[in-house]
Amino acid sequence: MGKPTLTIRDILERKGESLKLEVLTGDAGLDREVRVPEVSSPGLVFAGFTRRFAAERLHALGETEIAYLDSLTADDLKHALERFMSYELPCVFVTKGQEVPAGLVSLGKERNIAVLRSQLGTADFYRKISPYLIEMFAPATQIHASMADVYGVGLLFVGRSGIGKSECVLDLVERGHRLVADDVVHVTLRGAGVLIGRSHELAHRYMEIRGIGLVDVMALFGVRAVRQQKRIEVVVELQDWESAQQDVERTGLDGRTATILGVELPLVRIPLNPGKNLTVICEVVAMNHLLRYSGVDAARQFNERLIQRLVEQAELREYLAEDYE
Amino acid sequence: MTIERTTTIRNRLGLHARPAADFVKVAAKFQSEISLGKDGVWVNGKSIMGVMTLAAEFGSTVTVRAEGEDAKNAIEALAHCLSREYVEQ
Repeated sequence: MGKPTLTIRDILERKGESLKLEVLTGDAGLDREVRVPEVSSPGLVFAGFTRRFAAERLHALGETEIAYLDSLTADDLKHALERFMSYELPCVFVTKGQEVPAGLVSLGKERNIAVLRSQLGTADFYRKISPYLIEMFAPATQIHASMADVYGVGLLFVGRSGIGKSECVLDLVERGHRLVADDVVHVTLRGAGVLIGRSHELAHRYMEIRGIGLVDVMALFGVRAVRQQKRIEVVVELQDWESAQQDVERTGLDGRTATILGVELPLVRIPLNPGKNLTVICEVVAMNHLLRYSGVDAARQFNERLIQRLVEQAELREYLAEDYE
Repeated sequence: MTIERTTTIRNRLGLHARPAADFVKVAAKFQSEISLGKDGVWVNGKSIMGVMTLAAEFGSTVTVRAEGEDAKNAIEALAHCLSREYVEQ
């Protein structure tokens, strides 16, 4: 979904240090694109079994692969490597700082496939590269919205342009809450049903306030006022008072939901009118969400008490000629 | 124009939160002042807390009062609302 392509060069730039990578093939193959988020170790391909070989994956040669290649005669080694490198591989990693088999680097340069060596052990290498790849390939979207962390609850503010999403977030920041993103929220699906919202790297800590222009929220309010990313937990839709009247939630018994990237989130619609203290309402939305997660559902509890009372009264009515409290 | 209509609550669990919410939502659509009365106690028909705390149980008699231009339509709609039976979960 509009994802920029991921190249070997990107991996090198972003993760080169933490993966302890060193490029052995110069500039060759660095612009190859990574198309899938998987890494695998191609032992069977070296042994000659290529039928189910997933060439598009990133390939990591661990101790098993290298030990196997070392055990081959010079001729067999040449064949094994040529067979392996004949595929359009995105790149080849050699882990644990191992000596690279003779001929692999020159084949890499020839075929324009980067060969990189990592000082990390194979398991550690997998552990560190996989989350990065999964993140890069996760379903993602951009939403015209603003986002704040209110008492640890990620509130995503949506509503028509100019309704006051940014002003609402600014007011929340002023009251000690934290800005996550203003105007454009990048949403990534992580794991099953977890949506993470963040701002664009450049826009992070800035917001646009109509009448003032761009403001630097971190410079104005300090480092506590901004947050890099936050799980989206409640969608708050700001509505014009007039258009909202027909459909305002009065009890909170029937939870409304909004769907983003296939994930259902609780939705709160707030009709706006002049003088309404939106900030306090947002704080209550966040606290109510926390309460509900700790087992307190105000609307349900109230209604249970009410129904109990109503049923008792109705029973009493059956026995008495007149009703009394 | 002021109109009143008296009706009996038909819902087995009485006028609890869900029916009360429907009542106030319907009431809010009209310009008229809406009141709901039971046993001499009157509450604002556009207030959910008012309507719920009236505690109108099954079989009890309530009176809707509408004052305003659209009182007639309001009474019709609200009386219909009160006579509804809800399928309780």
